[in-house]
Amino acid sequence: MTTLVNTGDMPLRRNREMADVHYLTSRILFYLLVITAVSVIGFPLFWMLICSFKPGGELYATPPTFLPNVWTLQNYRDLFIQTNFLTYFRNSLIVAFGATFLSLIVGGLGAYSLSRFQFFGIAAFSNATLVCYMLPEVLIVLPLYIYVVKLGLADTLIALIIANTAFTLPLALWFMRSYFNAIPVSLEESAMIDGCTRLQAMMRVTVPLALPGIVSVGVFSFNHAWNEFLFALVFTSSESNKTLPLGLATWIGQDNIYSWGMLLASAVLITIPVILFYLLVQRKLVVGLAEGGTKGE
Amino acid sequence: MADTRTVMAGDRILAYATLAPSAFLLLLLAGVPTITVFLTAMQDVSMGDTSGPFIGLENFVWALAEPAFLTALWNTFVWVFGSVAIEMMLGLGLALLLNRNFMFRGAARAVILAPYLVPTVVAVLTWRYMLHDIVGIVNAALIGTGIIDGPLLWLNSRSLAMVSVIMVGVWKFFPFVVIAILGILQSIPQEQYEAAKIDGASSFQQFWRITLPYVMPVFLLTALLRTIWSFNKFEIIYLMTGGGPLDATTTLPVLVYLKAFADFEFGRAAAIAILTLAILCVLLAIYFFFIKRAEARQ
Repeated sequence: MTTLVNTGDMPLRRNREMADVHYLTSRILFYLLVITAVSVIGFPLFWMLICSFKPGGELYATPPTFLPNVWTLQNYRDLFIQTNFLTYFRNSLIVAFGATFLSLIVGGLGAYSLSRFQFFGIAAFSNATLVCYMLPEVLIVLPLYIYVVKLGLADTLIALIIANTAFTLPLALWFMRSYFNAIPVSLEESAMIDGCTRLQAMMRVTVPLALPGIVSVGVFSFNHAWNEFLFALVFTSSESNKTLPLGLATWIGQDNIYSWGMLLASAVLITIPVILFYLLVQRKLVVGLAEGGTKGE
Repeated sequence: MADTRTVMAGDRILAYATLAPSAFLLLLLAGVPTITVFLTAMQDVSMGDTSGPFIGLENFVWALAEPAFLTALWNTFVWVFGSVAIEMMLGLGLALLLNRNFMFRGAARAVILAPYLVPTVVAVLTWRYMLHDIVGIVNAALIGTGIIDGPLLWLNSRSLAMVSVIMVGVWKFFPFVVIAILGILQSIPQEQYEAAKIDGASSFQQFWRITLPYVMPVFLLTALLRTIWSFNKFEIIYLMTGGGPLDATTTLPVLVYLKAFADFEFGRAAAIAILTLAILCVLLAIYFFFIKRAEARQ
């Protein structure tokens, strides 16, 4: 910046003031940007939450009220009394925990093998698992539907649990292998010198050390199965075997019969387990990292 | 590492025994089904049946000449490139924003990442309520501020349905891009910026010369993953519009589903599914070409 006034310390001070003003405006613009981004992105969830407490009349008001004039739990009460929400919730829990358990046990063993042993075809197998993860769901669902019908497993939760692992298992294998790789083999070997069998060494040394990773894989699997919609849609026909996403999807399809209030209330309730699980992992991950840090290499 | 592996290699039986369940399940759930899809695609499956007489490649020929397939292909490209492009730009911008120090950064980060954690059905439900033509807040806000005169049919007009679906998809999935890019941004050594500042580089030059080259490989890889996932995405579109109005938002996965489970034409559905996978593979090859070139330039 060139200044015309050349006497005393004036230009210097003016420059400094200009810099301050410049800094202040850029800071204000920055905060405005953050506030805009946060409010636009956060609004739908905020809206879902507050509208779930609105009475029926306000939900259908035009123009809508912003904050509810009357706060009510009526939508939540209706959900439990008038609908099969609890059945759906139970089914979703069974499917999500079942799929998570299956992929952690099966994937954990497989990942251990991939990490600790060397044998023919190991690279091909790893790549093949990754390809599985890339296959379109709609491509897999066609043949799986045919098998499920032929095996008489249509409309059962077991079919859903097994089908869900088609997508959670490849990820469990990949992630747990990298967690196991990070744990020195020498720890297991010293446990075996102390008299453990290899399986004991794995269960007592490797698995506890890899726990943070295993937990985050578990949460991922749970989340995937909890959200899964296509398999449930294709395999399930009876009301008593519907999972939450399928149950809700049926309600959205008939929005004249079910009120928006109940739909929004159920949306809030479905989100809660997901958020709880993430909070859990966050803490576990932090604890795991801290423990690893204090113990050193 | 190599010698410890050979020590472990003694226990061959354990190695195979622990891997066997995974191999069996993956073969059962991905390997065999993929072969079955190819076989089904070459059969003339009549209504309500799951298999039929072999007819060679007739279903593929049918699909490639079918207007519904071509429309779905076009819709898929609009959906994939529309949403991935916006997700990448938005994700990069917000990652740069969240990488700076400011008050309540943790809270802002939590809010911005939240849509990714929320189940798809919840996202769809909330947005369908917000985009509802009569009781929705979006129309109410636009009419209230005088931007439009009457309610817009966000999900029920041919021209707007795809826009709405992309908007909801972007909202739901862009945080993945933020997470990925934020990770790499935090690994850039700060000394580089300090050295650049001493040399008098402007903040734009710092972004162009330091940040962008660092971010590029992750940016491209994220774009690749988002492309694969968007391409295969079924439920968010199906739940928002069911592929409608008419075929305005019918992408290839939605078409496969409708052919198989609404029209019960399994053979044709399988043929479309295989073509979908083939087109995706071509796209991936193009992406890998660009990623390799970007890596070579580094």
